[in-house]
Amino acid sequence: MKRISAALAAFSLLALTACGGETATKDASGETTVKVSVIPIVDVAPIYLGDKQGFFKEQGLKLELVSAQGGAAIVPAVVSGQVEFGFSNFTSLLIAKSKNLPLKVVAPGAGSTGAQGKDFGGVLVKADSPVKTAKDLAGKSVAVNTLNNINDTTVRASIKAAGGDASGVKFTELAFPDMLAALDKGDVDAVQVVEPFLATGLKAGNRLVASNYVDTAPNLTIAGYFTSEQTAEAQPELVTKFTAAMQKSLKYAADNPDAVRQILLTYTKIDAALLPDLTLPNFPAEVNKDSLDTLAALAVQDGLIETAPDTAGLLP
Amino acid sequence: MTADAPGRGGRRHRPLPAWALGALGLAGLVATVEAAPRIGLVDERYLPPFSAMAAALAEQTGQREFWVSLTETLRGWALGLVLATLAGVALGLLVGALPPLRAALTSTIEFLRPIPSVALIPLAVLLFGTDMRSTLLLVVYASFWQVLVQVLYGVRDVDPVARETARSFRFRQFTRIRTVLWPTALPYAMTGFRLGAAVALILEITGELVIGSPGLGAQIAVAQTSGAVAAMYALVIVVGLIGVAVNAAARAAERRVLRWHPSVRGEAVA
Repeated sequence: MKRISAALAAFSLLALTACGGETATKDASGETTVKVSVIPIVDVAPIYLGDKQGFFKEQGLKLELVSAQGGAAIVPAVVSGQVEFGFSNFTSLLIAKSKNLPLKVVAPGAGSTGAQGKDFGGVLVKADSPVKTAKDLAGKSVAVNTLNNINDTTVRASIKAAGGDASGVKFTELAFPDMLAALDKGDVDAVQVVEPFLATGLKAGNRLVASNYVDTAPNLTIAGYFTSEQTAEAQPELVTKFTAAMQKSLKYAADNPDAVRQILLTYTKIDAALLPDLTLPNFPAEVNKDSLDTLAALAVQDGLIETAPDTAGLLP
Repeated sequence: MTADAPGRGGRRHRPLPAWALGALGLAGLVATVEAAPRIGLVDERYLPPFSAMAAALAEQTGQREFWVSLTETLRGWALGLVLATLAGVALGLLVGALPPLRAALTSTIEFLRPIPSVALIPLAVLLFGTDMRSTLLLVVYASFWQVLVQVLYGVRDVDPVARETARSFRFRQFTRIRTVLWPTALPYAMTGFRLGAAVALILEITGELVIGSPGLGAQIAVAQTSGAVAAMYALVIVVGLIGVAVNAAARAAERRVLRWHPSVRGEAVA
């Protein structure tokens, strides 16, 4: 599946520039239907919550959430105009931007809590592992969900922050759902997981050795909502409305963590018994540009892209 | 699946009927899946016992989402299979009946046929985004070749005497297709249909799983990303059951359409 995603990304980069955006249509009630492509994970809880709270309706928007299996499917859908907005992590967006894909961020999505040991993502090892801190990960094998993306660059940042040599770490690509089993079997020495697998893994007795998003930058913004430049230019009003509703949703989510946990039951299949143990991401009011520059610098340093793209041009 | 027990035991032991043996095999599988995690052969967290899967399945069936997804999957599968069958039979007869066309297209068909449908996912997403049409494209592409190639073989299998006879009687092209080509090609087309039915289901689920178009496959993916292992296996069981049903239905259709054919007449009536 990973190879397919990679092929998909490559294909999209080659082929997708000329397709124009479809115009969002108004239905009988005067509401504009807007399609948003998201991944059914904890990070996108605010948009589901905001929809339920009627924040999008207030703006005259009728939200249609299209669930996709990964950012690799979302970027082409947004650029070709099949959906107006999409959700992606910022390293993917920076890579896309450096390949001259016409993308524009319209709202933040999720960020690190900034609390060491209490973030929604981190690196786990087995209870009896010789790895005590991020520094010891040098020379070990670490599973990440996508190679050459946000998770391996931030784990390297963690190792560097702890004074270790990040060049020797071996990354293996594994889907999040397969990681804990691989860790148990000893196929890998450590896994970089996010919720709900972090809580599941900790419950099973594994040990957290690094909060890689916290180590990377203060208040790291991890993911956000974006649109294509065509849509942004053709329908500036739509973007303004979506951003307004999204910001209200993020604020509401930040203020009502219990509502966030409850909304998870509607679009994920996370076990209700696990809900209280989940560490929720931070739902920031705005994209932290400094942290974005850090991500861009890491992407260049790790060879994901050749030169850092204009981060200001990506942001609204 | 089916057991052709010849009744080796002689007069005293009546062999178990095929359905009973089938049920026995299934019961064995259920018992293994129930026992393996319980006795610690596999970790319960990664392969829960069958009872846990059944409980998760019962919970799923109480949700509207499950039935909507099931309908989406069946609809995508059926639509894809019908389109592929119609196109495969029509093109197969046309190409098969016209030797120059056949000669011109054989290499192209042999080139296109082995391309795995999943390799077309980027193209499908580009054309149709993540909605059901993307998956439909994969389904049609994969099952189309199954039908087409079978029909091509079928047309080639026409008895030369029958063909010459039709020619001697100066049958019109359409009559020739109807009375000579079609009856010969039909058993092949039905085989293609049956193979296509299974392939279509596989691609329907794969498309939903990878692209995220609505259906049971997408639900499986959501269960995976939610760490809901039992719920995921519950859905996998449903897909397996659909597979069994699809195969049974295709076989029944085959028997019905080909009841005059020696291959079916020779088969014991189940």
